[in-house]
Amino acid sequence: MSGTVNRVKKVVAEVLEISEIQIEVSSEFVGDLGADSMQSIELVAGFEEEFDIEMDEDDALGVQNVQDAVTFIEKYL
Amino acid sequence: MTLIENIMNSAKESPARIVYPEGKDERIIEAASNAYTLGIAKPILIGDEDEIKQIASEKGLSLTGIIIQSNKEKSFIEKYAVSYSKTRGVREAIAKRLVKKPLPFAGMMVKEGDADGMVAGVTSATASVIQAASLTIGFKEGMSTPSSFFIMVLPNFQGEINKTLIFADAAVNVQPNAKELAEIAVFSGINAKALINLEPKIAFLSFSTNGSASHKDADKVIEALKIAKEMNTGFEMDGEMQVDTAIVPRVAVKKMPDSKVAGKANVLVFPNLDAGNIGYKLVQYLSGAQAIGPVLQGFAKPVNDMSRGASVDDLISVTAITSVQAQGNN
Repeated sequence: MSGTVNRVKKVVAEVLEISEIQIEVSSEFVGDLGADSMQSIELVAGFEEEFDIEMDEDDALGVQNVQDAVTFIEKYL
Repeated sequence: MTLIENIMNSAKESPARIVYPEGKDERIIEAASNAYTLGIAKPILIGDEDEIKQIASEKGLSLTGIIIQSNKEKSFIEKYAVSYSKTRGVREAIAKRLVKKPLPFAGMMVKEGDADGMVAGVTSATASVIQAASLTIGFKEGMSTPSSFFIMVLPNFQGEINKTLIFADAAVNVQPNAKELAEIAVFSGINAKALINLEPKIAFLSFSTNGSASHKDADKVIEALKIAKEMNTGFEMDGEMQVDTAIVPRVAVKKMPDSKVAGKANVLVFPNLDAGNIGYKLVQYLSGAQAIGPVLQGFAKPVNDMSRGASVDDLISVTAITSVQAQGNN
């Protein structure tokens, strides 16, 4: 779990071009981390690359915060 | 001749290459097959060739004239990932993951000139279609947001048979600000003219007419009209006005006697999505009007979103619309 969290934070930091220190498990991508609402698919592509998984495009729209992403990714691992 | 028949005839003059990212959906295959036969588009289906061929054969559908493009083909993925990475500033490895998904793949085909327009949404959420198109195709110059309009054909409006009105935005922007509302109005006018040869008379709708009520929501509409006028389109536009003032000459004469739009408006710009969406559905169901759309606008190249319940006929109509939009783009 904590390994996944750290890797998710790393991807979020890279895609949104922010520091990992700013990212909490509860952080909302749009509300807290400055993502624009169009970027969820870029985050998903980043998660796919990091974890070598394939996620569904529509399901990815539901991934709104770091915890959602961790829960979602762990279904694929 | 119906409005759609007119649009189909325009599409036939120079059929555009329309890409369908949901290429294995049966309705899409049938619509693409018919679109080619009718001569309104040169269809491109995204997906696995064997799978699409098998579905077509099971359903007895012809694939003549249809290109099947795999979104797994490496040369395309490489090319699109380089382009995407450059535009959006994401690492190429991430871009590769992204562009091989059907919606962004189709969007990149349009962006890179391998297709002229895209029709999607029969198996994807509207938000996914808009997101993919925004990230790949991007927006038309001067537009900050995508928006939409419906072409409403009323069977009988005050004695006028098949009265055509444009309703915007009734599907995309929940709470547009003044600038966004101005863009929605202007681009709805431009597209109505290009698509159905309508000389736009644009009404900015409100619950207030010409200052009859004082409220920040009415102020937003007044500000939007001001911004739209500064865009120098040459279109007749006026507001803020109530919808009866916009479309009923008898009311217009009393409430805005000097307006060139009131009583004659044919492009109705709603202040927000509550009003627009409720408005178009009321007209559709209470008057038996045909609602064609939503036609998306604001993207650098044409993209249209279908509802998941779309029929083959709906798909053919929207393909024709997209084809005509693409002609305007070229």
